[in-house]
Amino acid sequence: MAAHYGCGARYLAGGTDLIIHMRRGKLAPEHLIDIRPLAELSGISVGPTVEIGALATHASVEHHPAFQGRLRALVDGARVVGGPQIRNMATVGGNIANASPAADVVPVLMALDATVSCLSATGLRSLPLDGLILGPGRTGLAHGELLTGIAFAMPPEGVAVSFLKAGRRRAMEIASVNIAVRAGLDGDGRLCDLWVVLGAVAPCPVRATSAEAMLLDQRPSDDLLRAAACAAARDCAPIDDVRASAEYRRHLVERLLPRVVRAALASAQAGDPR
Amino acid sequence: MSKVLISLTINGETHELAAEPHRSLLSVLRDDLGLTGTKQNCLEGECGVCSVLLDGKVVNACLLLAVQCEGSRIVTIEGLEDPDGGLHPLQTAFMQHGAVQCGYCIPGMIIAAKGLLDGDPRPTDAVIREAIAGVLCRCTGYQKIVAAVAAAADQMSQKRDGQ
Repeated sequence: MAAHYGCGARYLAGGTDLIIHMRRGKLAPEHLIDIRPLAELSGISVGPTVEIGALATHASVEHHPAFQGRLRALVDGARVVGGPQIRNMATVGGNIANASPAADVVPVLMALDATVSCLSATGLRSLPLDGLILGPGRTGLAHGELLTGIAFAMPPEGVAVSFLKAGRRRAMEIASVNIAVRAGLDGDGRLCDLWVVLGAVAPCPVRATSAEAMLLDQRPSDDLLRAAACAAARDCAPIDDVRASAEYRRHLVERLLPRVVRAALASAQAGDPR
Repeated sequence: MSKVLISLTINGETHELAAEPHRSLLSVLRDDLGLTGTKQNCLEGECGVCSVLLDGKVVNACLLLAVQCEGSRIVTIEGLEDPDGGLHPLQTAFMQHGAVQCGYCIPGMIIAAKGLLDGDPRPTDAVIREAIAGVLCRCTGYQKIVAAVAAAADQMSQKRDGQ
Protein backbone atom coordinates (compact mmCIF):
# COMPACT_ATOMS: atom_id res chain seq x y z
CA MET A 1 0.00 0.00 0.00
CA ALA A 2 2.83 2.37 0.85
CA ALA A 3 4.46 1.62 -2.49
CA HIS A 4 1.18 2.43 -4.24
CA TYR A 5 0.70 5.79 -2.56
CA GLY A 6 4.38 6.76 -2.61
CA CYS A 7 5.49 9.93 -0.90
CA GLY A 8 1.93 11.05 -0.26
CA ALA A 9 1.41 8.43 2.42
CA ARG A 10 2.56 8.14 6.03
CA TYR A 11 2.16 5.34 8.50
CA LEU A 12 -0.13 6.07 11.43
CA ALA A 13 0.65 4.23 14.62
CA GLY A 14 -0.14 5.92 17.96
CA GLY A 15 -0.62 9.26 16.24
CA THR A 16 0.68 11.24 19.20
CA ASP A 17 3.24 13.04 17.06
CA LEU A 18 1.82 12.59 13.55
CA ILE A 19 -1.65 13.95 14.26
CA ILE A 20 -0.13 16.99 15.98
CA HIS A 21 2.25 17.63 13.07
CA MET A 22 -0.68 17.41 10.68
CA ARG A 23 -2.88 19.69 12.75
CA ARG A 24 -0.07 22.30 12.83
CA GLY A 25 0.48 21.99 9.11
CA LYS A 26 4.02 20.67 9.51
CA LEU A 27 3.12 17.48 7.66
CA ALA A 28 0.35 17.06 5.11
CA PRO A 29 0.22 13.48 3.88
CA GLU A 30 -2.54 12.73 1.43
CA HIS A 31 -3.03 9.29 2.89
CA LEU A 32 -2.53 7.71 6.26
CA ILE A 33 -1.94 4.00 6.50
CA ASP A 34 -3.21 2.84 9.87
CA ILE A 35 -0.80 0.19 11.09
CA ARG A 36 -2.21 -0.17 14.60
CA PRO A 37 -4.18 -3.29 13.63
CA LEU A 38 -0.88 -5.10 12.98
CA ALA A 39 -0.97 -6.79 16.36
CA GLU A 40 2.01 -8.98 15.52
CA LEU A 41 4.21 -5.87 15.74
CA SER A 42 3.17 -4.90 19.25
CA GLY A 43 4.76 -7.65 21.30
CA ILE A 44 7.80 -7.70 23.54
CA SER A 45 9.89 -10.84 23.98
CA VAL A 46 12.71 -11.16 26.45
CA GLY A 47 15.51 -13.68 26.22
CA PRO A 48 19.22 -13.58 25.35
CA THR A 49 17.91 -11.22 22.66
CA VAL A 50 15.20 -8.76 23.59
CA GLU A 51 12.76 -7.86 20.84
CA ILE A 52 10.41 -4.94 21.08
CA GLY A 53 7.82 -4.71 18.33
CA ALA A 54 7.62 -1.32 16.65
CA LEU A 55 4.00 -0.98 17.75
CA ALA A 56 4.74 -1.73 21.41
CA THR A 57 3.39 1.23 23.34
CA HIS A 58 5.46 3.12 25.88
CA ALA A 59 2.97 1.89 28.49
CA SER A 60 3.69 -1.75 27.60
CA VAL A 61 7.44 -1.13 27.97
CA GLU A 62 6.87 0.76 31.23
CA HIS A 63 4.90 -2.10 32.74
CA HIS A 64 6.83 -5.05 31.38
CA PRO A 65 7.76 -7.32 34.28
CA ALA A 66 11.09 -8.33 32.77
CA PHE A 67 12.42 -4.80 32.49
CA GLN A 68 13.60 -4.54 36.05
CA GLY A 69 17.13 -4.97 37.26
CA ARG A 70 19.75 -4.15 34.66
CA LEU A 71 17.20 -3.15 32.01
CA ARG A 72 15.32 -0.82 34.33
CA ALA A 73 16.52 2.10 32.17
CA LEU A 74 13.94 1.05 29.57
CA VAL A 75 11.19 1.59 32.11
CA ASP A 76 12.79 4.84 33.27
CA GLY A 77 12.87 6.08 29.70
CA ALA A 78 9.37 4.96 28.79
CA ARG A 79 7.63 6.25 31.90
CA VAL A 80 8.77 9.85 31.46
CA VAL A 81 7.28 10.21 27.99
CA GLY A 82 4.27 12.54 28.13
CA GLY A 83 1.58 11.30 30.46
CA PRO A 84 -0.51 8.13 30.76
CA GLN A 85 -2.74 9.07 27.83
CA ILE A 86 0.24 9.52 25.54
CA ARG A 87 1.99 6.38 26.75
CA ASN A 88 -1.09 4.27 26.10
CA MET A 89 -0.97 5.19 22.42
CA ALA A 90 2.57 6.27 21.54
CA THR A 91 4.71 3.48 20.13
CA VAL A 92 8.44 2.88 20.40
CA GLY A 93 8.73 2.60 16.62
CA GLY A 94 6.82 5.83 16.16
CA ASN A 95 9.10 7.56 18.64
CA ILE A 96 12.15 6.47 16.65
CA ALA A 97 10.61 7.41 13.30
CA ASN A 98 9.51 10.81 14.64
CA ALA A 99 13.21 11.46 15.35
CA SER A 100 12.94 14.10 18.01
CA PRO A 101 16.39 15.10 19.29
CA ALA A 102 14.91 14.80 22.78
CA ALA A 103 13.46 11.31 22.40
CA ASP A 104 13.62 9.52 25.73
CA VAL A 105 13.72 5.80 25.01
CA VAL A 106 16.07 6.22 22.02
CA PRO A 107 19.23 6.96 24.06
CA VAL A 108 18.52 3.89 26.18
CA LEU A 109 18.10 1.71 23.09
CA MET A 110 21.25 3.18 21.59
CA ALA A 111 23.19 2.38 24.76
CA LEU A 112 21.86 -1.16 24.40
CA ASP A 113 23.36 -1.24 20.88
CA ALA A 114 19.93 -1.91 19.43
CA THR A 115 19.22 -2.71 15.81
CA VAL A 116 15.98 -1.90 14.06
CA SER A 117 14.31 -4.03 11.41
CA CYS A 118 12.55 -2.33 8.55
CA LEU A 119 10.30 -3.69 5.86
CA SER A 120 9.88 -2.28 2.41
CA ALA A 121 8.57 -3.49 -0.94
CA THR A 122 12.08 -4.75 -1.67
CA GLY A 123 12.46 -6.74 1.52
CA LEU A 124 13.56 -6.71 5.14
CA ARG A 125 16.71 -5.08 6.44
CA SER A 126 18.35 -4.56 9.80
CA LEU A 127 20.36 -1.55 10.74
CA PRO A 128 21.87 -0.15 13.92
CA LEU A 129 19.77 2.42 15.71
CA ASP A 130 22.97 4.40 16.30
CA GLY A 131 23.20 6.41 13.11
CA LEU A 132 19.61 5.84 11.95
CA ILE A 133 18.42 9.18 13.27
CA LEU A 134 19.95 11.95 11.20
CA GLY A 135 18.42 15.12 12.59
CA PRO A 136 15.14 16.56 13.82
CA GLY A 137 12.39 14.64 12.05
CA ARG A 138 14.81 12.85 9.73
CA THR A 139 15.85 9.22 9.71
CA GLY A 140 17.66 6.93 7.32
CA LEU A 141 14.40 5.10 6.58
CA ALA A 142 13.42 5.16 2.91
CA HIS A 143 9.96 6.38 1.83
CA GLY A 144 7.45 3.69 2.52
CA GLU A 145 9.85 1.71 4.68
CA LEU A 146 8.12 0.43 7.78
CA LEU A 147 9.99 0.02 11.03
CA THR A 148 8.87 -3.36 12.34
CA GLY A 149 10.91 -3.96 15.46
CA ILE A 150 13.83 -3.13 17.68
CA ALA A 151 16.18 -5.77 19.05
CA PHE A 152 19.21 -5.90 21.28
CA ALA A 153 21.32 -8.52 22.99
CA MET A 154 20.87 -8.75 26.73
CA PRO A 155 23.96 -7.03 28.19
CA PRO A 156 26.42 -9.49 29.74
CA GLU A 157 26.22 -10.02 33.48
CA GLY A 158 27.93 -7.18 35.32
CA VAL A 159 26.83 -4.60 32.74
CA ALA A 160 23.74 -2.39 33.08
CA VAL A 161 22.17 0.70 31.58
CA SER A 162 20.80 3.69 33.44
CA PHE A 163 18.85 6.72 32.28
CA LEU A 164 18.07 10.17 33.55
CA LYS A 165 15.86 12.86 32.10
CA ALA A 166 16.25 16.46 33.19
CA GLY A 167 13.32 18.80 32.70
CA ARG A 168 11.24 21.45 34.33
CA ARG A 169 8.50 19.08 35.45
CA ARG A 170 7.99 15.39 36.03
CA ALA A 171 5.36 14.70 33.38
CA MET A 172 4.16 16.12 30.07
CA GLU A 173 7.68 17.37 29.48
CA ILE A 174 10.25 17.29 26.74
CA ALA A 175 13.77 16.74 28.05
CA SER A 176 16.13 19.65 28.51
CA VAL A 177 18.82 16.98 28.65
CA ASN A 178 18.63 13.24 28.82
CA ILE A 179 21.46 10.82 29.43
CA ALA A 180 21.77 7.07 29.01
CA VAL A 181 24.88 5.23 30.21
CA ARG A 182 25.78 1.60 29.69
CA ALA A 183 28.67 0.44 31.88
CA GLY A 184 30.17 -2.37 33.86
CA LEU A 185 33.35 -3.03 35.80
CA ASP A 186 35.84 -5.68 34.77
CA GLY A 187 37.64 -7.97 37.21
CA ASP A 188 40.13 -5.17 37.87
CA GLY A 189 37.48 -2.62 38.78
CA ARG A 190 37.91 -0.79 35.50
CA LEU A 191 35.04 0.54 33.38
CA CYS A 192 34.15 -1.66 30.44
CA ASP A 193 31.38 -2.02 27.83
CA LEU A 194 30.84 1.69 27.99
CA TRP A 195 28.32 3.82 26.10
CA VAL A 196 27.40 7.39 26.97
CA VAL A 197 24.43 8.70 24.97
CA LEU A 198 23.18 12.26 25.32
CA GLY A 199 19.79 13.48 24.15
CA ALA A 200 18.30 16.94 23.63
CA VAL A 201 21.77 18.46 23.24
CA ALA A 202 22.33 17.93 19.52
CA PRO A 203 20.23 17.51 16.35
CA CYS A 204 19.88 13.84 17.30
CA PRO A 205 20.88 11.66 20.27
CA VAL A 206 24.66 11.44 20.26
CA ARG A 207 27.39 9.38 21.79
CA ALA A 208 29.72 11.40 23.98
CA THR A 209 32.80 9.85 22.41
CA SER A 210 35.49 11.83 24.18
CA ALA A 211 33.83 11.13 27.54
CA GLU A 212 33.69 7.43 26.63
CA ALA A 213 37.37 7.45 25.67
CA MET A 214 38.32 9.05 28.99
CA LEU A 215 36.32 6.54 31.00
CA LEU A 216 37.00 3.25 29.24
CA ASP A 217 39.44 0.97 31.07
CA GLN A 218 39.78 3.44 33.93
CA ARG A 219 38.67 3.10 37.52
CA PRO A 220 35.61 5.30 38.14
CA SER A 221 36.94 7.85 40.64
CA ASP A 222 34.94 10.99 41.37
CA ASP A 223 37.66 13.10 39.71
CA LEU A 224 37.58 11.02 36.56
CA LEU A 225 33.79 11.13 36.34
CA ARG A 226 33.83 14.91 36.75
CA ALA A 227 36.48 15.27 34.05
CA ALA A 228 34.58 12.98 31.71
CA ALA A 229 31.40 14.94 32.34
CA CYS A 230 33.24 18.13 31.32
CA ALA A 231 34.34 16.38 28.16
CA ALA A 232 30.77 15.27 27.49
CA ALA A 233 29.55 18.84 27.93
CA ARG A 234 32.00 19.82 25.20
CA ASP A 235 30.93 16.83 23.02
CA CYS A 236 27.42 18.09 22.64
CA ALA A 237 26.01 20.89 20.52
CA PRO A 238 22.95 22.18 22.37
CA ILE A 239 20.80 25.09 21.28
CA ASP A 240 18.88 27.73 23.18
CA ASP A 241 15.17 27.04 23.12
CA VAL A 242 12.08 27.64 25.25
CA ARG A 243 13.03 24.88 27.64
CA ALA A 244 16.65 25.72 28.36
CA SER A 245 19.65 27.66 27.14
CA ALA A 246 22.60 25.91 25.53
CA GLU A 247 24.74 26.97 28.47
CA TYR A 248 22.35 25.44 30.98
CA ARG A 249 22.19 22.22 28.99
CA ARG A 250 25.97 21.90 29.05
CA HIS A 251 25.81 22.57 32.77
CA LEU A 252 23.22 19.82 33.22
CA VAL A 253 25.36 17.33 31.30
CA GLU A 254 28.36 18.20 33.41
CA ARG A 255 26.52 17.84 36.67
CA LEU A 256 24.37 14.83 35.85
CA LEU A 257 26.67 12.50 33.93
CA PRO A 258 28.60 11.24 37.00
CA ARG A 259 25.28 10.41 38.64
CA VAL A 260 24.12 8.36 35.67
CA VAL A 261 27.43 6.47 35.46
CA ARG A 262 27.25 5.63 39.16
CA ALA A 263 23.63 4.49 38.74
CA ALA A 264 24.60 2.17 35.88
CA LEU A 265 27.37 0.64 37.97
CA ALA A 266 25.07 0.21 40.96
CA SER A 267 22.47 -1.45 38.76
CA ALA A 268 25.13 -3.70 37.25
CA GLN A 269 26.26 -4.74 40.68
CA ALA A 270 22.70 -5.30 41.96
CA GLY A 271 22.01 -7.59 39.02
CA ASP A 272 18.62 -8.90 38.01
CA PRO A 273 15.81 -9.99 40.31
CA ARG A 274 15.45 -13.75 40.58
CA MET B 1 -13.07 14.40 1.32
CA SER B 2 -15.98 11.98 1.28
CA LYS B 3 -17.48 10.49 4.37
CA VAL B 4 -17.13 6.90 5.42
CA LEU B 5 -19.46 4.83 7.57
CA ILE B 6 -18.13 4.32 11.06
CA SER B 7 -19.54 2.18 13.81
CA LEU B 8 -18.50 3.27 17.31
CA THR B 9 -19.30 1.55 20.59
CA ILE B 10 -19.57 4.24 23.25
CA ASN B 11 -20.70 3.63 26.81
CA GLY B 12 -22.04 0.27 25.76
CA GLU B 13 -24.14 1.57 22.87
CA THR B 14 -23.29 1.21 19.20
CA HIS B 15 -23.58 4.31 17.03
CA GLU B 16 -23.50 4.18 13.24
CA LEU B 17 -22.52 7.42 11.62
CA ALA B 18 -20.92 8.90 8.53
CA ALA B 19 -17.86 11.09 8.95
CA GLU B 20 -14.79 12.13 7.00
CA PRO B 21 -11.73 10.00 7.80
CA HIS B 22 -9.78 12.95 9.15
CA ARG B 23 -12.29 13.65 11.94
CA SER B 24 -10.92 13.16 15.43
CA LEU B 25 -12.74 10.97 17.91
CA LEU B 26 -13.16 14.06 20.07
CA SER B 27 -14.88 15.99 17.31
CA VAL B 28 -17.21 13.10 16.49
CA LEU B 29 -18.13 12.60 20.15
CA ARG B 30 -18.92 16.25 20.70
CA ASP B 31 -20.24 17.49 17.36
CA ASP B 32 -21.89 14.41 15.85
CA LEU B 33 -23.04 12.54 18.92
CA GLY B 34 -23.69 15.45 21.27
CA LEU B 35 -21.52 13.90 23.98
CA THR B 36 -20.07 17.17 25.15
CA GLY B 37 -18.97 15.90 28.54
CA THR B 38 -15.57 15.23 26.97
CA LYS B 39 -13.98 18.65 26.66
CA GLN B 40 -11.99 20.33 23.93
CA ASN B 41 -8.98 22.54 24.57
CA CYS B 42 -5.43 22.21 23.31
CA LEU B 43 -6.05 19.59 20.61
CA GLU B 44 -2.42 18.55 21.04
CA GLY B 45 -2.54 15.90 23.72
CA GLU B 46 -1.04 18.28 26.28
CA CYS B 47 -3.96 19.11 28.58
CA GLY B 48 -5.95 15.89 28.91
CA VAL B 49 -9.44 17.41 29.11
CA CYS B 50 -10.38 15.24 26.13
CA SER B 51 -9.51 12.01 27.93
CA VAL B 52 -11.66 8.97 27.28
CA LEU B 53 -11.17 5.28 27.98
CA LEU B 54 -10.37 3.20 24.89
CA ASP B 55 -10.59 -0.50 25.69
CA GLY B 56 -10.05 0.42 29.32
CA LYS B 57 -7.00 2.64 28.76
CA VAL B 58 -7.02 6.40 29.17
CA VAL B 59 -6.19 8.19 25.93
CA ASN B 60 -6.52 11.65 24.34
CA ALA B 61 -9.56 11.68 22.06
CA CYS B 62 -8.10 14.67 20.21
CA LEU B 63 -5.24 12.56 18.87
CA LEU B 64 -7.36 9.65 17.68
CA LEU B 65 -9.17 9.52 14.39
CA ALA B 66 -12.74 8.33 14.77
CA VAL B 67 -12.18 5.72 12.05
CA GLN B 68 -9.41 4.15 14.12
CA CYS B 69 -11.84 3.44 16.96
CA GLU B 70 -14.12 0.97 15.23
CA GLY B 71 -14.20 -2.27 17.12
CA SER B 72 -13.03 -0.65 20.36
CA ARG B 73 -14.99 0.03 23.54
CA ILE B 74 -15.08 3.71 24.33
CA VAL B 75 -16.14 5.07 27.69
CA THR B 76 -16.78 8.78 28.19
CA ILE B 77 -17.74 10.68 31.32
CA GLU B 78 -21.39 10.23 30.37
CA GLY B 79 -20.87 6.51 30.73
CA LEU B 80 -19.95 6.55 34.40
CA GLU B 81 -22.79 5.34 36.44
CA ASP B 82 -23.15 3.32 39.57
CA PRO B 83 -24.79 -0.04 38.82
CA ASP B 84 -27.59 1.19 41.12
CA GLY B 85 -28.24 4.08 38.71
CA GLY B 86 -26.76 6.85 40.82
CA LEU B 87 -23.52 8.72 40.48
CA HIS B 88 -20.25 6.86 40.24
CA PRO B 89 -18.31 6.93 43.53
CA LEU B 90 -15.65 9.05 41.79
CA GLN B 91 -18.26 11.66 40.88
CA THR B 92 -19.63 11.72 44.42
CA ALA B 93 -16.18 11.94 45.96
CA PHE B 94 -15.18 14.83 43.70
CA MET B 95 -18.21 16.78 44.86
CA GLN B 96 -17.81 15.87 48.52
CA HIS B 97 -14.13 16.77 48.60
CA GLY B 98 -14.38 20.15 46.90
CA ALA B 99 -12.31 18.86 44.00
CA VAL B 100 -14.32 20.81 41.40
CA GLN B 101 -13.84 24.53 40.77
CA CYS B 102 -14.42 25.65 37.21
CA GLY B 103 -15.08 22.05 36.28
CA TYR B 104 -13.40 22.01 32.89
CA CYS B 105 -10.71 19.43 33.70
CA ILE B 106 -13.01 17.27 35.76
CA PRO B 107 -14.29 14.83 33.14
CA GLY B 108 -10.68 14.22 32.13
CA MET B 109 -9.62 13.79 35.74
CA ILE B 110 -12.44 11.38 36.50
CA ILE B 111 -11.81 9.32 33.38
CA ALA B 112 -8.10 9.14 34.18
CA ALA B 113 -8.94 8.15 37.74
CA LYS B 114 -11.37 5.49 36.56
CA GLY B 115 -8.73 4.09 34.25
CA LEU B 116 -6.41 3.88 37.25
CA LEU B 117 -8.87 2.35 39.71
CA ASP B 118 -10.07 -0.25 37.24
CA GLY B 119 -6.55 -1.67 37.24
CA ASP B 120 -5.27 -0.67 40.68
CA PRO B 121 -8.06 -0.50 43.26
CA ARG B 122 -5.88 0.74 46.13
CA PRO B 123 -3.38 3.20 44.71
CA THR B 124 -1.11 5.32 46.87
CA ASP B 125 -1.30 9.09 46.56
CA ALA B 126 1.91 9.02 44.51
CA VAL B 127 0.37 6.60 42.05
CA ILE B 128 -2.79 8.70 41.86
CA ARG B 129 -0.70 11.77 41.05
CA GLU B 130 1.05 9.92 38.25
CA ALA B 131 -2.25 8.66 36.88
CA ILE B 132 -3.65 12.19 36.61
CA ALA B 133 -0.38 13.69 35.37
CA GLY B 134 -1.81 13.89 31.86
CA VAL B 135 -4.69 16.22 32.85
CA LEU B 136 -3.91 19.83 33.70
CA CYS B 137 -5.92 21.81 36.25
CA ARG B 138 -5.53 25.56 36.62
CA CYS B 139 -7.88 25.98 39.56
CA THR B 140 -7.44 23.48 42.31
CA GLY B 141 -3.74 22.79 42.81
CA TYR B 142 -4.65 19.09 42.52
CA GLN B 143 -4.70 18.39 46.26
CA LYS B 144 -8.43 17.85 46.58
CA ILE B 145 -8.58 15.93 43.33
CA VAL B 146 -6.05 13.45 44.70
CA ALA B 147 -7.97 13.24 47.99
CA ALA B 148 -11.21 12.62 46.10
CA VAL B 149 -9.69 9.81 44.05
CA ALA B 150 -8.26 8.20 47.19
CA ALA B 151 -11.61 8.49 48.94
CA ALA B 152 -13.44 6.98 45.98
CA ALA B 153 -10.93 4.11 45.92
CA ASP B 154 -11.58 3.45 49.61
CA GLN B 155 -15.32 3.63 49.14
CA MET B 156 -15.26 1.29 46.15
CA SER B 157 -12.99 -1.19 47.93
CA GLN B 158 -15.19 -1.22 51.01
CA LYS B 159 -18.25 -1.77 48.89
CA ARG B 160 -16.53 -4.63 47.08
CA ASP B 161 -15.26 -6.25 50.26
CA GLY B 162 -18.66 -5.88 51.85
CA GLN B 163 -20.30 -8.00 49.17
